[in-house]
Amino acid sequence: MSADRLKSVCWDIVRKGWLLALLMFLWWLVTAAGWADPYKLPSPGHVLSTLGNLFTERALLDDLGATLLRLVEGWAIGVTAGVLLGLITGGSRFLEDGIRPVIAGLQAVPTIAFLPLAILWFGFNGTAVLVITAFGTFKPMAISTYSAMHQVSPTLMMAGRAMGARGLFLQRTLVFPAIVPNLVTGLKLSWSFAWRALMAAEIVVTGAQGLGGVLELGREIGAIDVVIAVILVILVVGIVTEQLFFTRLERWVNRRWGLTGAR
Amino acid sequence: MAPALRVNAVSKTYARSESPALTPTSFDVEPGQFVSLVGPSGCGKSTLLGMIAGLITPDEGSIEALGELVTGPGNGRAIVFQDAALFPWLTLERNVEYGLRAHGMPKAERREKVAHALRMVHLDHVADKHPYELSGGMRQRASIARALVLDPEILLMDEPFSALDAQTRTLLQDELQRIWLETRPAVVFVTHNLIEAAFLSDTVHLLSSSPGRVVKTYDIGIPRPRDEADPALLDIRHDMLERLRAEVDDAALRRAEFAEVTEVGA
Repeated sequence: MSADRLKSVCWDIVRKGWLLALLMFLWWLVTAAGWADPYKLPSPGHVLSTLGNLFTERALLDDLGATLLRLVEGWAIGVTAGVLLGLITGGSRFLEDGIRPVIAGLQAVPTIAFLPLAILWFGFNGTAVLVITAFGTFKPMAISTYSAMHQVSPTLMMAGRAMGARGLFLQRTLVFPAIVPNLVTGLKLSWSFAWRALMAAEIVVTGAQGLGGVLELGREIGAIDVVIAVILVILVVGIVTEQLFFTRLERWVNRRWGLTGAR
Repeated sequence: MAPALRVNAVSKTYARSESPALTPTSFDVEPGQFVSLVGPSGCGKSTLLGMIAGLITPDEGSIEALGELVTGPGNGRAIVFQDAALFPWLTLERNVEYGLRAHGMPKAERREKVAHALRMVHLDHVADKHPYELSGGMRQRASIARALVLDPEILLMDEPFSALDAQTRTLLQDELQRIWLETRPAVVFVTHNLIEAAFLSDTVHLLSSSPGRVVKTYDIGIPRPRDEADPALLDIRHDMLERLRAEVDDAALRRAEFAEVTEVGA
């Protein structure tokens, strides 16, 4: 039994990791064979030792912490505001007709385009970066929320109304829980938007501690190994949050909402 | 005694449709009476039920429930849908409780009524399960409990058993008969199954399509509890089939109804 389990875990790693392993091998091959200019593409070993140095000498952990804190803060603020505005928007035809085109228009503009404005309003500091992150989160979250409200099953709505639910009670006990599976998708989507906005803003606002600042420093001093090392860190953070948080959340919600595992 | 429900010359024509979904139709439902609307697809039976539920507005005519003009859902009427339409994020208990919460009933009182309703449909042992953990028949029983817990004077049922397998369907028909004998709401029951309608009802309105209308009304005087294999029921079903065949006057309609007849003829 446990041998079978071990076998299935190994197979899982092979199945999910083969492309990554191949890419790493090619990277190593290209650098080891001397086909690439080490200034433009350092070897994997070199990048790894730089990464180690960054953590021990430049206290990259502090930068990572600052970035993650900002990400979570900005995302949480943006999610809250987005869901609230989405619920208000989807709750009334009049409000929706007015608000929807504005949000859709804002979403068509890359969030980073608002950074100069944020810097002028909030200063060349972490606050401006946080505001941009929250704003980047807010737009897709609001859109996910009000779009989901249109997809609530008409039969469930009829059932709720027929049982006497109306107004705020109907919104709170029927519409909101009904859109939760869509909101989880919105959370994932807005998380990736938050990351993009945050990185772009941190690269510009170098005064603030964070991974973006390290990336920009690497470019400035021509240390491509630093740049690649930081990209790897961001990649790992992305994979870890996806696997540890979003995938589990999604699985739980889908099961509880009867979207999978139904008899 | 005043009727529980008075349907007064209601009609409906949907946009982009040549023939009326329902031509002016009238009937009364007495308190505690079990009435079925039966007929092939497109005969207007679901439209009629939707109007009684207050979910569809008639073009002409009016409906009175318990002496009040119907303008929306509620007012002593509860409805059971074809797919149970339970809220998937709530346990059965919480699903059954929902209507009571909507009416602002205090918690202690709710608990007692919910437990009673679940016992009535024999689901008290799975009260804390979620709908996805249950079979289709159990889900439909839960949705009946959800309607009954509101103590409706009028219970509306829109093809509640048509998505179930034949055995489950028979079991639930028996259970519905028993529950109705215990609680005695007025019932309007929509189905395309002729024998089901005859088995359950005091009165069956047989409808036909293009345009949707009542073609014949049957009063079923067989004493309860009834047996589905009762020859008297089979006679009534036979008469209904004859009547529906007589209504078939063009080929397109004949094809449409043939599908229905083979479905219910099993």
